[in-house]
Amino acid sequence: MLKRARNIFWLASRDFANEWQMSGFFILALAAVLGPMMILFGLKFGIIGSMLDNLIQDPRNREIHPVGSGRFDMAWIEQLRARPEIGFIIPHTRSIAATIQLNSETSSRILTVEMIPTDQGDPLLPQIHIPTEMHQVVLSDSAARKLNVKPGDSISGSLSRRFQDKSERVYLDLKVVDVAPLGSFSRDGAFVTLALAEAAEDYRDGRSVPTLGWDGAESNEQRTYPGFRLYTRSIYDVAPISRALEKLGIEVRTRAADIDIVRNMDRNLTAVFWVIAVIGLVGFSFSLGASLWANVDRKRKELSVLRLVGFRTGDIVWFPIIQSLYTAALGWFTASLVYQGVAYTINQMFSAQLKQGENVCQLLPEHFLIALALTITSSFLAAALAGYRAARIEPSEGLREI
Amino acid sequence: MSLLHPQPGPSPTQDKVLIYHLRDVIKTREAEGAGFRLVVPSLQIAMGEKIALIGESGCGKSTLLDMLSMTLRPSKIGSFRFRPERGAAPVDIAELWRKKKLNSLGDLRRLRIGYVMQTGGLLPYLTVRENISLSRRLLGLPEDDLVEVLAKDLGIRNHLDKLPHLLSVGERQRVAIGRALAHRPAIVIADEPTASLDPIAAERIMSLFIELVDELSITVIIASHAWRHINRLGLRHLSHRTHRDEQGTMTETVVSG
Repeated sequence: MLKRARNIFWLASRDFANEWQMSGFFILALAAVLGPMMILFGLKFGIIGSMLDNLIQDPRNREIHPVGSGRFDMAWIEQLRARPEIGFIIPHTRSIAATIQLNSETSSRILTVEMIPTDQGDPLLPQIHIPTEMHQVVLSDSAARKLNVKPGDSISGSLSRRFQDKSERVYLDLKVVDVAPLGSFSRDGAFVTLALAEAAEDYRDGRSVPTLGWDGAESNEQRTYPGFRLYTRSIYDVAPISRALEKLGIEVRTRAADIDIVRNMDRNLTAVFWVIAVIGLVGFSFSLGASLWANVDRKRKELSVLRLVGFRTGDIVWFPIIQSLYTAALGWFTASLVYQGVAYTINQMFSAQLKQGENVCQLLPEHFLIALALTITSSFLAAALAGYRAARIEPSEGLREI
Repeated sequence: MSLLHPQPGPSPTQDKVLIYHLRDVIKTREAEGAGFRLVVPSLQIAMGEKIALIGESGCGKSTLLDMLSMTLRPSKIGSFRFRPERGAAPVDIAELWRKKKLNSLGDLRRLRIGYVMQTGGLLPYLTVRENISLSRRLLGLPEDDLVEVLAKDLGIRNHLDKLPHLLSVGERQRVAIGRALAHRPAIVIADEPTASLDPIAAERIMSLFIELVDELSITVIIASHAWRHINRLGLRHLSHRTHRDEQGTMTETVVSG
């Protein structure tokens, strides 16, 4: 059995190699179908993959932003923070009260910036020193450039108010602990501790701030915040959390629509790709099948000689199948080479627009294996019919011309 | 070394071991209203015999050869016994056909029968050497110098490593003869082996063929439509009568010997 299998394998291989022109055409024909399909899928996978990666990586897509202003106390915020879907939440003070004027020794201008409360785990400040004390700030990229400062520099800040019909101004020394990445905050801003933002609000509202020695009225009022900055753990938590907030009567704004667009696009493009892939592979199977079928006719005499010298019906079936598997494997290999070349070129063309490690055209190793499996399956099916036909050749046909 | 011109030995035809023994074997074919029937009331072929089957095309030669080579199932079998080895019990071919043991028939063919076809029937993707040793290889026989010896006797030793398409038609027929003999079968069946050759080449190759089977003590059955040299080569002629009925719709050939 093994010996016969080895012999039929040997004969089919020799025939395949001997008709190398014919075999070569079919390998190229397969590569011509499979190569563009791999490139198409590579583009889909690369582009949509990058878009999804961006969506996942960009914290703004995980942000749930309350519209307008409400009245949220710290207990409520803490309650929300305890939910497992919440990645980061911090309240903010009234935006009018949350500005501060900054100036540095290295720049002549005085810059008015927004203060954004921050804390450990802020997704806008990944791998960055977070302010932990009132005098520490992280400047946005544009603010740092305008003030011409770098991490470690000292700057001074000032707040002004009208209190008891007088203009007043307080000064405080600040330390730039870090500069936020370019994409985190596009305007002039300073990430500060919640305590500093609260102090600024208290000062502007005419309340005293004992920790900084700022005068004002005493107040025991329970502090409420008009809004908060909230990020869920993943983009998939955005929809349930925003639904929950809306149920509480808090109108929110999210990028859920953007996420849905990309996910829809992924689904639709995948469907389109599969339609093209199926049409291509079915077409290829038919053409390979037709040629193998015709080969059986062309090689009728040779095949009947094989029957005559003692090959069994079941052995002959393997003759076209083995040859189709050669076509499949070599065609796939050629297509993979074509893909590698084209993918490299495409990625080079777009390299300027891409971040490090991002590709427009990309396939994973398992995609190559899936392509191989699909090709082998369709080739096998195409050849099985021809094999069945070959098996029906009578040995006596080889004895004479028909 | 050569197989030709060895010392004379005892003729294998003298001790009558029957390699083929057929009785009342009939094959009927029907096509487009025209019928054809081959009737073999009795046929005995002894081991080592050289048989010639001469007749017009369409007289049933091929049908008989196909039945003898066990590739065509007879319509009716009285008895059909095949005894490929002197000491062994005969194989009941009728039984194998009845039980549809096609693979057993295939194994028997592979091991015991060699074929020479009208035009080569060589595999174009194998070299001459591989073509000649194909049957040996398929049987798993060890390498032996018979392939070289046959190639030398057949005058194709210079072509052993070429592909068949580089050879002339006559040379290809020599290769085909080599392949039929290389695994030392019990019987070689040749259907019009020289029909595609010119008369001079045909005669030379036929003489060579007969000499080789003689030396290897292989039984041979050769079919041909017109051949002048039977008597000179010492072949036994199978007799056959063909007649048509009045309407001309039924042709019947009776072969016996």
